[in-house]
Amino acid sequence: MNNSVELKDGIENIETENPVLKFLKSVFKGKPSLEKRRARAGYVFVLPFILGVLLIYLPLLIDSVWLSMSEVNAANKTITFVGFEHYVDAFSTSGFTAAFLAGLQQLIFEVPAIIVFSLFIAVVLNNKMLGRAAFRAIFFLPVIVSTGIMETLNAADAVSSESGEGINDGTQNNSAEIISMLDVQQLFASMKVGGELVTYVVDLVNNVYNIINYSGVQMLIFLAGLQSISPSIYEACQIEGATGWETFWKITFPMISPMILVNAIYTVIDSFTRSTNPAMAFIRRQFDGGSFSSATAMSWMYFLVVALVLVVVAAIVSSFVFYQRRD
Amino acid sequence: MDSTKPVITKESKNRISVDYEGKLSFKERLMKKIQSSHTWIKVVVSVLKFILMLGVSYVILFPFFSKIAGSFMARQDVVDATVSLIPKNWSLATYTAIMVDNKYWLAFLNTLLLSLLCALIQTFVACLIGYGISKFKFKGNKLIMAVVIVTMIIPHSTLEYAMLQRFTSFDIAHVMSTQQPGILELLLGWIPGWKGIELINTFWPFLILSIGGIGFKNGLYIYMMRQFFKGVPDELEESAYVDGSGTFRTFLQIILPLSVPMMITIFLFAFSWQWTDQFYTQLFYRGSDSMKIWSMVDVVRIPSSLVDKNFAGRAIYENVIKNTAGIMIVAPLIIMYLFCQKYLVQGIERSGLVG
Repeated sequence: MNNSVELKDGIENIETENPVLKFLKSVFKGKPSLEKRRARAGYVFVLPFILGVLLIYLPLLIDSVWLSMSEVNAANKTITFVGFEHYVDAFSTSGFTAAFLAGLQQLIFEVPAIIVFSLFIAVVLNNKMLGRAAFRAIFFLPVIVSTGIMETLNAADAVSSESGEGINDGTQNNSAEIISMLDVQQLFASMKVGGELVTYVVDLVNNVYNIINYSGVQMLIFLAGLQSISPSIYEACQIEGATGWETFWKITFPMISPMILVNAIYTVIDSFTRSTNPAMAFIRRQFDGGSFSSATAMSWMYFLVVALVLVVVAAIVSSFVFYQRRD
Repeated sequence: MDSTKPVITKESKNRISVDYEGKLSFKERLMKKIQSSHTWIKVVVSVLKFILMLGVSYVILFPFFSKIAGSFMARQDVVDATVSLIPKNWSLATYTAIMVDNKYWLAFLNTLLLSLLCALIQTFVACLIGYGISKFKFKGNKLIMAVVIVTMIIPHSTLEYAMLQRFTSFDIAHVMSTQQPGILELLLGWIPGWKGIELINTFWPFLILSIGGIGFKNGLYIYMMRQFFKGVPDELEESAYVDGSGTFRTFLQIILPLSVPMMITIFLFAFSWQWTDQFYTQLFYRGSDSMKIWSMVDVVRIPSSLVDKNFAGRAIYENVIKNTAGIMIVAPLIIMYLFCQKYLVQGIERSGLVG
């Protein structure tokens, strides 16, 4: 204590001209306020991330943009700047636009299906039922297991089972479809719904394995959300005589809607950056083919598409999100 | 009049039995219950629910069954149309071939070490950053959260080429397009022939990315930790401060023990996603087989002793071998999951991942 007071006095005497000493003075000027100290502690906690971004991630980003705009000569290791050439050329690469559109299409198909499915399962698993613990364990298994290497293997399996190149496991039939288009068409014919819906439903059923596999994290997030709804609201509903259906739409759905936003964003990111996405697979083939620069250019364009879709999805979903007043 | 008053016969924490006048006997009450439609609807709904869940579980588990079944089949079973799921000639040849020819145990050790290191670092770093963002007010707080989200959105293939360049000749804060030297070059540039440190085929690229919180899916971990800490009441820390505990001591002694379930969840994610990762592993471990670090990605290939170009069912057989390799890769994860899965659900449920 005494030391710092002396130091402070000493600095004040010669403070007039030197800016460095002025700074020192501000540092040693007694104890900073609690707020300032808290802010300083906050910086210490996020320091790894700040350093990681500034020293590693940002240079990587800049390098990546630059590499996408230059031609690399592997033989004599020279790099020449070519501007937006790779970006323009990408459109004339065969299969580029098709792959992007296929990626988008998959997204439009998957996101609603995954969200509805995971919400449904989360609601069912949230209530008491026979064997709930076991079902939970099974449902979250794909989160842990079916990523990376297994995902690729499963995708390869799906292709080979269509061409009959798997072991006979009793699931193969002639059409390799769980339900046939014809059955559904007959079912929907009398209902006067469009052909798009028919294809959607057929795709949905035939892709049920993928949809279940990609819903793990979303289910967890929904379960967490459901757990946080106060049981007293449900009690009040019951006393007022609401049915389960009404309770779901009037209580559960609004209360869970912030989670729907989170999940929609997560699903979009996950669906876009998955290695089995057609666009990602296309970019991967470009990399493996050795055209690094143009592949990087393509993935930058792809990132822009992802960002755009995210903004659109977030805007659509957040328009019906209900926020309970907290704090 | 005393007899009309209900009498409590037994009372426990969540059950109470009351005797009152005109109370029906147990048998009569059971009959009434069976006759009411409410009970029946309840039973039917729960049975339907159970069947539905069973069906979905079947869809999830069936590929594993089929993979496991195929892995025990001898070669002639694979093409035998009369064999479905249960092998006629049991054989461990596929397993032994993968263990010996594909050096499974080497890959296992390498991947175990890397996944443990990465998962531990990533969990701790995510904890630090999540705590910093959620509990402290400082300039740029929101910006940092936004950057976390951006690191999640940018597809990793975007940075693939730049990362390859960066880690073949590593330097800190070095940007290729400007000719400015990086920090390491300033320090070590006097060494003749300095070209940066080559970090390909070492653990370092993974560790560096993990320490910075910018590795694979780290954005998600940071986000989850932040949501968790948001749900931890401020009063807890305030009382610790009042008792004279500093910020970091409070973090280590109060906050960290509290967040163990969530940390286990994140550890589980980080560990298993690193374990089955292909992208970063193939990017940072490269070169010929003798040069590169052997990892799980290299286990998925056809063992040289099982290659038979004259075998009619070659395509099916190779598929079965690859699936067996897949089963061997995820088997440790499944065992780990069986022990930890209750923490996974608990961690998420307590996290208050909301908002």
